[in-house]
This record gives sequence, structure tokens and C-alpha cells, in this order.
Amino acid sequence: MDHVTPKLRLQGVSKSFLAPRAKAPTLAVADFNLDIHPGEFVCIVGPSGCGKSTVLNMVAGLDTPDAGAIELDGRQVQGPGAERGVMFQDYALMPWQTVAQNVGFGLLHGTPGQGMSPAQRQARVAEHLELVGLTAAANKYPHQLSGGMRQRVALARLLANGPDVLLMDEPLGALDAQTRLILQVELLRIWGETRPQAERRTALFITHDIEEAVFLGDRVVVMSSHPGRVRADIAIDLPRPRREALRADPRFGEFAEHIWSLIRDEARQAIGGLTPTTPQEETTA
Amino acid sequence: MNALHPAARRAAVALRSYTLFALAWWALSAWVANPIQLPDPLRVARALATLFADGEIVEHASVSTARLLLSLVVATALAVPLGFLIGLSRRVEAYVDPLIELLRPISGIAWIPLALFIFGVGNTLPVFIMVYVAFFPLLLNTVAGVRGTDPKLLAAARTMGISRAATLRHVVVPSALPTVLVGLRLSFAGAWAAVVAAELIGAPSGLGFAIEWYRQLLMSPKVFAFIAVIGVVGFVCDALLRALQRRLTPWTEGQGS
Amino acid sequence: MSAAVTRSSNPEVAAGRVGPVPAARDRLAPWRALALPALLLVLWQLWALGLPADTRAPYPSKVASTLWALTASGDLPLALVQSLGRVMAGFACALVIGLLLGVPMGASAKLRDNLDPIIESFRPIAPMAVLPIAILWFGTGTPAAVFIVAYAAFFPLIVNTVHGVMNVPRRLLQAAHTMGVPRTRILLHVLLPASLPSVLLGARLGMGMAWTAIIAAELAVGAKSGGGTSGGIGQMMFVFYAYNVDLNAIVVCMGVVGLVALAIDRLFRAAERRLMPWKA
Repeated sequence: MDHVTPKLRLQGVSKSFLAPRAKAPTLAVADFNLDIHPGEFVCIVGPSGCGKSTVLNMVAGLDTPDAGAIELDGRQVQGPGAERGVMFQDYALMPWQTVAQNVGFGLLHGTPGQGMSPAQRQARVAEHLELVGLTAAANKYPHQLSGGMRQRVALARLLANGPDVLLMDEPLGALDAQTRLILQVELLRIWGETRPQAERRTALFITHDIEEAVFLGDRVVVMSSHPGRVRADIAIDLPRPRREALRADPRFGEFAEHIWSLIRDEARQAIGGLTPTTPQEETTA
Repeated sequence: MNALHPAARRAAVALRSYTLFALAWWALSAWVANPIQLPDPLRVARALATLFADGEIVEHASVSTARLLLSLVVATALAVPLGFLIGLSRRVEAYVDPLIELLRPISGIAWIPLALFIFGVGNTLPVFIMVYVAFFPLLLNTVAGVRGTDPKLLAAARTMGISRAATLRHVVVPSALPTVLVGLRLSFAGAWAAVVAAELIGAPSGLGFAIEWYRQLLMSPKVFAFIAVIGVVGFVCDALLRALQRRLTPWTEGQGS
Repeated sequence: MSAAVTRSSNPEVAAGRVGPVPAARDRLAPWRALALPALLLVLWQLWALGLPADTRAPYPSKVASTLWALTASGDLPLALVQSLGRVMAGFACALVIGLLLGVPMGASAKLRDNLDPIIESFRPIAPMAVLPIAILWFGTGTPAAVFIVAYAAFFPLIVNTVHGVMNVPRRLLQAAHTMGVPRTRILLHVLLPASLPSVLLGARLGMGMAWTAIIAAELAVGAKSGGGTSGGIGQMMFVFYAYNVDLNAIVVCMGVVGLVALAIDRLFRAAERRLMPWKA
């Protein structure tokens, strides 16, 4: 493992957008710097509109930075590619294909499956369906599945494509709170948290749910907004595998509270019209 | 081009498209070299000018438009109340809907021969056909609009102690209005198509009649000119309806057929 | 207060339910459905009985016997086949042109901005308005009729195709992109299947317009060419109007027009269900 070159490096990344009918472009992300090492699970949290999805889109190659560089294994990122697999909040499953067909989509039509025989593709699809526990639903259509199941299909598809880096944009955001808790544990299992760090896939996970970020990540990067930049980079040295019981652990709560204190004021302003809390309000809550 | 305001830019692109179209038309008419089958754009333009000058266009257009307006008013007066009745009462729907569904597939055009017998050639025939054609989209859309009222809104009104009549007026009607207006636009489109057909066959005046009249005289530029007028009037009316839609239902955006 | 509201004579509105009819009423539903049409038929027949024996007015029993006669003699089936043949030919043309233009237009805003003004300018011009031109070009026979049918079917097809392609969720295209799928494959395996529902809707609407257009065209051509050789149901209707005056036959034709329209609609809906098993 190379300690010098990080797996994923963002240096001085900036991005502006011109909103419709706006006179001047707004700076969404400014001078964003982040190094992610192989096998790390890094979560990015921040108030609404801080630009976390923009950052992910740029890493995915769906957007280009106005300034700065994004490098994977030392090479600059150019456009989307299967080595940086993406999982979206709205699943992005092809509605006209079955679960199995969706999981095998990248293998059939994209770069991951090049050189594979149909039998090999099928085996890989079956393997990943098994991994996420959806073998029985292989011939169902997305509309017949629950949100949690759809997201597992998206996860299976992502992993079947064998990416170097997993990019996940609030993948559990559309699910109800209980499903989210369950899938967080599942996600870690499927990601392979019991394996040594060298053998895990690097993951970049965007979320607005602070506790989710603390539960899942090796590191939590806190973003501030207007413009978006790194405010804090917190190492979560809680033991792996992360068990449900961990949520009751006082250290878990401390991490979460600390991160929330960094975000709270900006979040209040983001939802419109609320002023920052005073110190008295915070302690008497 | 890109520096212009978006609406101005689209207008400029449209203008360019029309110009290219006219040029292509010119080229084609020169190649076909048959002034009766395909008169060149200039001739048509001149015919338009002449027809405008001697008032023919205005005369026929106003006749057709008057029939259209009358038909839409009558159709609305029939379809919207009935639509509300059907939408609100499953009982009424159970009895009336089958009859509607039996008649609807029979296009207005198919009624022309029978209607010619009943009404003869004249003003009534086109209006009858147009009312018939306009009736169904308005009815169906009104029913859909009423049925489509969000049950949660109705429940919210109930929890606020609002009476049934007031709920009807202040929840159901506004909720159904966008769909009804879409139905109106559909009705207009159908009626405008029907007026030409009806006038072509069974009326002594109007744009449809004029087209057929000049075709029999083989005066193609005038035929083309009247066809263009049909297009323009249709376009303008639809634009007016869309403006009405925006005015009456400003809370909807981008809805249209 | 709440009791008075919930016990209103219109339970659906008061309860905020606009859903399916409760099961208890379903047994009577078919009878209710037939009630009004049957009543009208009976009244119509009764009204006709009060007329002189040699009346030209149509009435149900005579219509039925005319239907039998026309079918047995083969006139009706023949006319039907002629009309349907033209419809299918015209529809096929419209489908090809509509897709060839519609898909690129849906995908490219530039193309849309350039072509849309022309198409939208022609849309308010009814197929019947173009009929005189078609006759000028092709004479009063089948080619003119097919042209009108194609013209009529074209607009719903292209409008819905463009709409369908435009509304393919960007997310799906992005997802394919992030899997390294090349552009041509994205077009074939993502864009087209995703826009299929809209295209099929356009096809159904277009076919409906095509059927109406052929009847109108045949009727008009029959009227203008003095009952010429155009054939088809529309022309048959005109013949029964102007030559062998037979109002019962006209009513039969009207019924056939309606039935075929219904059949087309049902057929296309069934095809939609068949071709899109993934639709909820």
C-alpha cells in the first residue's frame, strides 16, 4: 500500500454556478481540499446547500471543477468512469429491467464487463444479489420493491461493477428512519468492514444525517456552506465492526454532538430566518 | 445570438427557421414548376394581401371564429355541469358514463351526413358538429379534474368544519380548474379542426368553405393563403387559451397537453 | 357537527374518498350501465313506430336489419378493409417520420428550438384543411387519403415522442455514464426504453386521429368527386347520403366508425400493457 499517494485527492477545488436570472455566479464550493486513503470510509456532512453533492458530482466526473484538481491514484479525473462507481439517492434503476438485469447493466453495456462471457456475467450478478440478500427478487421489477430493496439493488449494481472507489450521494436519504438504521449496518457488512483496511474499497459517503456519518465513517469531514469548504476533519476512532449497541455508547454521542455544534448555526440559517442560538439556549436545551 | 434574452433568442431562432422554410418552399416550387400544385411563397403572400385588402379573409375568418366561440360556449355550458355531476356522484356516473362512452368513439365527422339531413347546409351544421366535438374532452377533463381533487385537501377542509357547498366552491372547483382548462384547449383544437371539415362539406361560408371554393377554381395561391390563415387563427386562439390558463391558475406551471 | 358532515348524501366527497365503488354495489353495475342506453333505444323505437311506413327516418330495428344486409352483401366488410388499409399505411408513414424526427428533437434542445416553430405552426392546421392541397397533388384517390392520415397521425406522435425523450430522467443517463456505457449504447439501451411509454401513448393517440381523418377524408372526397371511386366507410356514408339515400345505413356506418375507434383504442392499450410489463 502506497502511503504517499492518497487514493483520492482533491486540491483547491472550486465550483461556481450561475442560477437562472442571477446577475453573478454564486461560488458553491471554494478551495476544497481532501485526501482519502485506500480502504477509508469517509463521510461528508454539512448544512443543506453546502455543496456536498457538488463535490461528489465532480469526483464522479459528472461535473468539472472551475479550479483545482481531482486525482484518483495520482491521475487526474476526466469525466465519469466505472472505476468511480456512484450510488444515487433516487436509486437510478432502469424501470424496464428486472433486478437481475439492473445489477448486470454495467457488466453488459459498460466497461466493467468487457471480456466477460455471459456465463461469467450471470455468475457475478448472482453473487452480488446474494451479497445484498435479494436473490429471491431477481426477476422482479423496481416498482414492485420497497425503497430499501431498491437501494440494495443499486448497491449490488455498484459493487458488481467492481469500482475502485464507491461514491454514495445520500443513498439512504429517501428511506424511512427505521430502514435507514438497518441498512447502515448492512452497508458496512457488504462493504466489508471486517476485512483489513488494505482490502476494503475506498468509499466517499455524503449525508446530512450526522449520526449516520459517525456510525459509518472512519472519518467525518464537516463542510461549511456559502461557499462550501472543509470546516473540520474528524477521525472517528470507534471500534469496527460497528454494532447497533454503539449508538448508545457515550463516545458516539460526543462525536455527534461535537459535529452538530459545528453545523447547527449554519443549518438554522439554511432553513430560513432562524438566528443562531445563544450559548444559554444551547445549555438549557 | 447567445447574448440575447432567452425569449428574444427563441424568437430569433424561430424567425430563422421560418425563413429557411420559406426558402425551401421556394426552391421546391421552382423545381416542381406547377403553379397550381405548388405556388411559390411570393404568390401566396400576394394572394394573402389581396384577400386581406378586399376583406374576404376577415369575413370568412370571423364567421368561422364566431361559430367556434359559440360552440365552445355551448359545449362548456353542457359539459362542465354534467362533468361536475358525474365527478361528484358515483350514481350519476354509473348511469350516464356508459352512454358517453358509447357516443364518444363516434367522431364528429361521422355525424355530418346525418346532421346534413337534419339541419341542411347552413350555419347550424358546423356549430352542431363543433359542439359535439368540443363536448367530450371538456366533459372527460372536468370529471378527471373533480375526481382528482386531493382527498387530503377534502379531509383538511372537513377538519376545519367547512360545509359541503363551501368545500365544493373553494376546494373542488379550484382544484379541478387546471384540468378543465386543459380540456378546454383540447376541445378548442378539436373544434377548430372540425369547423374546417364541416365547412368544407356543409356550409356556405367560413374558412373551410373558402378553401374548397378556391380549390375548385384551381386558384392555389388563395387556397394556400386561407390555409395559412387557419393556422394563424388556430395558433392565436391557443395562445390566448394558454394565457387564460396562466391567468386563472397561476399556481400551476408547465402543465399542458 | 362531524356527524352531519359525514352523513351527507354524497359519502364520497364528505369522506374525502374518491376511490373505487364499494363491492356491495357491483352486482347491479352492469344493469345500471345498460339502463340509459336501453331506455333511449326503446324511446327511439317507439317514436319511430308513430311515423308513416315509408319514412326515411332511421330507427333501431331498421338499423339492425340494414347492418345485417350490408354485412351479408360484403359491402360493409369491404369498405372497412379499404379504410383500415389506408389508415395503416398512413400511420406507418407518420410513425417512421415521427420517430426519426422526434427522438433527435427530444435529445437536442438546439434541434428542438429550430424545428419546433415549424411543427407548431402546422399543428393548428387541421388535416381536413390540407385535404384540398392533397387532392391538388394526388387526385381524389388513395394516395391523397393516405397523405391526410399520415398528416393527422404525425402530430400526436411527434409531440409525445419529443416529450418522452425530453423527460427521460437525467439520473438514468448519468448512472449509465458512470458505469462506462458508451454514448450509442446509452441511446439504445437507456433513452429509447425510457421514452417508450410516451411513444406508445403518441401512437395510440395518433392512430385515433388517423381513423377520424380517414373517415373525414373519404367523406369529403366522396362529396367532391360525386361519389367517386375512393371507397371506404366515409365514402359509403356519403353515397347513402346523396345517392341511395338510406339513413339507416348511415347510422350503421356511424356505429361502425365508433366501434372501430373503440377497438383501436383497446388494442393499443393492450399492446402498451404487453410491451411494458414493468409499468405499475
